[in-house]
Amino acid sequence: MQYVIRRIAQTIFVVVLVTLLTSVALRFLPGGTDVLVVLKTGPGASPEQARQVISDLGLDKPWYTQYFNWMHDFVVGDWGTTFQTNQSIATAVKRSLPISAYLMVYGQLLALSTAIPVAVWAAYRQNSRFDRLSTTSAFAMLSLPNYIVAPVLMFFFSVKQKWIPFPSTYSSLFDDPVAHFKAFVLPSVTIALPLFAGYMRLLRADMISTLQSEFITTARAKGVTTRNILFRHALRPSMFSLITATAVNVGALMGGVVIVEQFFLLNGMGRLTVESIFRREYPTVQYAVVVLALIYVFVNLMADMAYAWIDPRVRARRALS
Amino acid sequence: MGHSNSVRRHKSGRVLAALVLTAGLVGAACGGDDAKTATTDSAADTTVADTAAATTVPPPTTAAEEVPVPGGSMVFAVEPAPSNPWRPSEILCAASCHQVLRNIFDSLTLPNSDGSWSPYLAESVVPNDDFTEWTITAREGVTFHDGTAFDGAAIVDNLERARVGTVTQFPLQPITGVELVDPMTAKVTLNTSWVAFPFILTGQIGYMASPEWLAASDVDALLKTDPVGTGPFVSDSYADGESFLMSRNDTYWNDPYPYLDSLEFRFIPDALSRRDALKSGTVDVIHTTNGATIAEFREATDIGMFEVANQGETAYTLLHVTQEGSPLNDRRIRCALAYSRDQAAVNEVISAGVPQIAYGPFSPTQVGYLEHTGYPEAQDMAKAQELIAEYKAEFPGPISLALAATTDETNLTIAQFQQEWFLEAGIDEVTIDQLDQGAYVVTAALGNFQVFQFRNHGGFDLDMQYHFWHSSAAEIINPALPIALNFGRIKDATLDALLDENRASNDPVRKKEIAEEVNELFGTECYNMWESYTIWGIAHKLAVHGPTGFELPDGTTAVFGAGISGVVYPMTFWVEQ
Repeated sequence: MQYVIRRIAQTIFVVVLVTLLTSVALRFLPGGTDVLVVLKTGPGASPEQARQVISDLGLDKPWYTQYFNWMHDFVVGDWGTTFQTNQSIATAVKRSLPISAYLMVYGQLLALSTAIPVAVWAAYRQNSRFDRLSTTSAFAMLSLPNYIVAPVLMFFFSVKQKWIPFPSTYSSLFDDPVAHFKAFVLPSVTIALPLFAGYMRLLRADMISTLQSEFITTARAKGVTTRNILFRHALRPSMFSLITATAVNVGALMGGVVIVEQFFLLNGMGRLTVESIFRREYPTVQYAVVVLALIYVFVNLMADMAYAWIDPRVRARRALS
Repeated sequence: MGHSNSVRRHKSGRVLAALVLTAGLVGAACGGDDAKTATTDSAADTTVADTAAATTVPPPTTAAEEVPVPGGSMVFAVEPAPSNPWRPSEILCAASCHQVLRNIFDSLTLPNSDGSWSPYLAESVVPNDDFTEWTITAREGVTFHDGTAFDGAAIVDNLERARVGTVTQFPLQPITGVELVDPMTAKVTLNTSWVAFPFILTGQIGYMASPEWLAASDVDALLKTDPVGTGPFVSDSYADGESFLMSRNDTYWNDPYPYLDSLEFRFIPDALSRRDALKSGTVDVIHTTNGATIAEFREATDIGMFEVANQGETAYTLLHVTQEGSPLNDRRIRCALAYSRDQAAVNEVISAGVPQIAYGPFSPTQVGYLEHTGYPEAQDMAKAQELIAEYKAEFPGPISLALAATTDETNLTIAQFQQEWFLEAGIDEVTIDQLDQGAYVVTAALGNFQVFQFRNHGGFDLDMQYHFWHSSAAEIINPALPIALNFGRIKDATLDALLDENRASNDPVRKKEIAEEVNELFGTECYNMWESYTIWGIAHKLAVHGPTGFELPDGTTAVFGAGISGVVYPMTFWVEQ
């Protein structure tokens, strides 16, 4: 319990640090507040308009006041409007967040659901033809960056065969499930391919080690079936590295979805962030960064919790420490 | 119109990207196809009917045997969404923006196939004897989408807002007053004779928005993205950077348009993604200035395309010619840079050789176009080195130049070509500064550059370039924000005199002479480095028909693509059901 409290405290500290840095980021822009004024008003502002913009953005206040005001607005959801398009930032984030979330979840699910059985079987049949084939394939997938995979998939399935629409247009899972999955299938595969390769190799190595343990030999001696040995006895203790990698990959995926969303023109958080950077919509970038950081911190917290759930030895060690 | 009729092929123009500004507005930013070059574009100005008519490419027309079928929907993929949407006095408008806006708003006038202008939403636009006053009468019986009447007060409100608009204020400096004469009539008073004034009403300044909506959006900024005009389509929803959905205006005054029940614009910044979206069947129509895409669709059998180069803009490299201490203030250096370039190589590498190489600001369909302007037409490195050596003999010391480019790869490639040539010619240091698109046009307006890739100067009349080239347009209106639309800060008395004479002239022959003199002046002074004439491809599924001009109320024909390059009229489109 103490461990959980300590981890939550650490998480809160990280959140405060991230929000503090992002909240005052406007102060340190190249070009200073003049650039913000031009962006907000267009290139013809009077000095009065310029002062008003500075005041509206709170940039005439001390940094700590800016922070508390910013945090208040963040918590109550009053995120203001974009500089140039007068759109609600909260609405834009709310519209984009599910898209990226679906993309990351589908990518991870696809990678895990294929990597786990392949890794388990490859470990069980170590050095077999299946093992060599899967290991070699994994190498190939790892060496394929998503900016190569995405256009190839798009060209074949969208442009040539016209099976999958391009650009990917988001539809709600509940309103139109077919259109929903059509929109996500190619981006998810693009994300899943390198993840599959990494997960497969990681789990295979751990499984090979686990399968050499004494308790597995004992289980075999007791006549436990191969399926039970692999999936009930060996898999669970072999998943530490996989869980860690899955959690850490959430951060990497946030970078990955930026590229994948750009390729498939999915208007998720990655695309929103990148385009906001190019358009100098700094408040949008601020909120997007904070939301992504919070997701990352939360997922890693969950992963830490999962260790203890998976293996009682971890709970015991933590209790002793 | 069959497919074969819809495919038009031209061998002019060229690809670059960018912003287009309307009727004498500055387009800011950039973004587009081949190279994301910042751009401004004038949309139509003055008359000079005879010359323009001779060179204007007629629009594709619907074949007699094909009867338009009302109904259906269409998805049109266009370049990036604009900044500051969608109030006409505030928006920073590129070609895609006009493509969208023209469906919501009608403009007071439109360019016609005679190379002149015709009243459109306005019943009439009439000058006094010396062109210092223009009386604009509203068309009877027209209502905005919110049910309010279009009248003289609406014209006054819109023009008054344009006079103080972020970008629209610059070309409207000659206006001293806008007053309501009677309920349907407004009068614009000028401080000079302005013959081509109605041309500026063909674009952004002429778009008429509902005064009620404008007033409401003054209070609630979120309403700005739900525009209310008199146009053929009514705004349904706008998602920033994604799409704009609109539906048929059932009470549109210009019957039988529009044919479509609904229209969706999808903003796809990348030219190749737009191409792939069309090929995958997800969208029905795209526009592009990408040379490779145009070349590909010229050969396609399952995609229709027509090309537009009417009064189009020119891709070029802008030079700041009056910056304190800059070597670019000296004609020898400017012309040396021009001699050092191999335009054909760039055109081939960047644009698949599709557009025509430019030697001056005016494209072949514009008044003032000359085949030879005096501008260096072929690479002559020896001449470039000689000019730079001559300059260095007079002004010893190293010469440094900074080239600005957007973050777009094609744009960067052009800059890298130039960097190599300039170094070989004798410039001692050449750096490349990449700027994000948001900052690009602001940088140009602030004049904080030396060498800058750009696209601009489309339009019907030389007057459309007045605020880009006249020395008065290099002056700063607001010292708090020192911007000007004469980006290169050209201050040339001869050029000023020619522009002033043209503004007041109503003689087509003399106006043509003046425009040609200006062209030659740019050629010999090397104020800019010309690259190519932009060409737009409008590619569509074969099931899409009717991209055409249409008859204007005065009996002339509206020409798509003219005035604002690449912009067509979706209200004339229909789709096979």
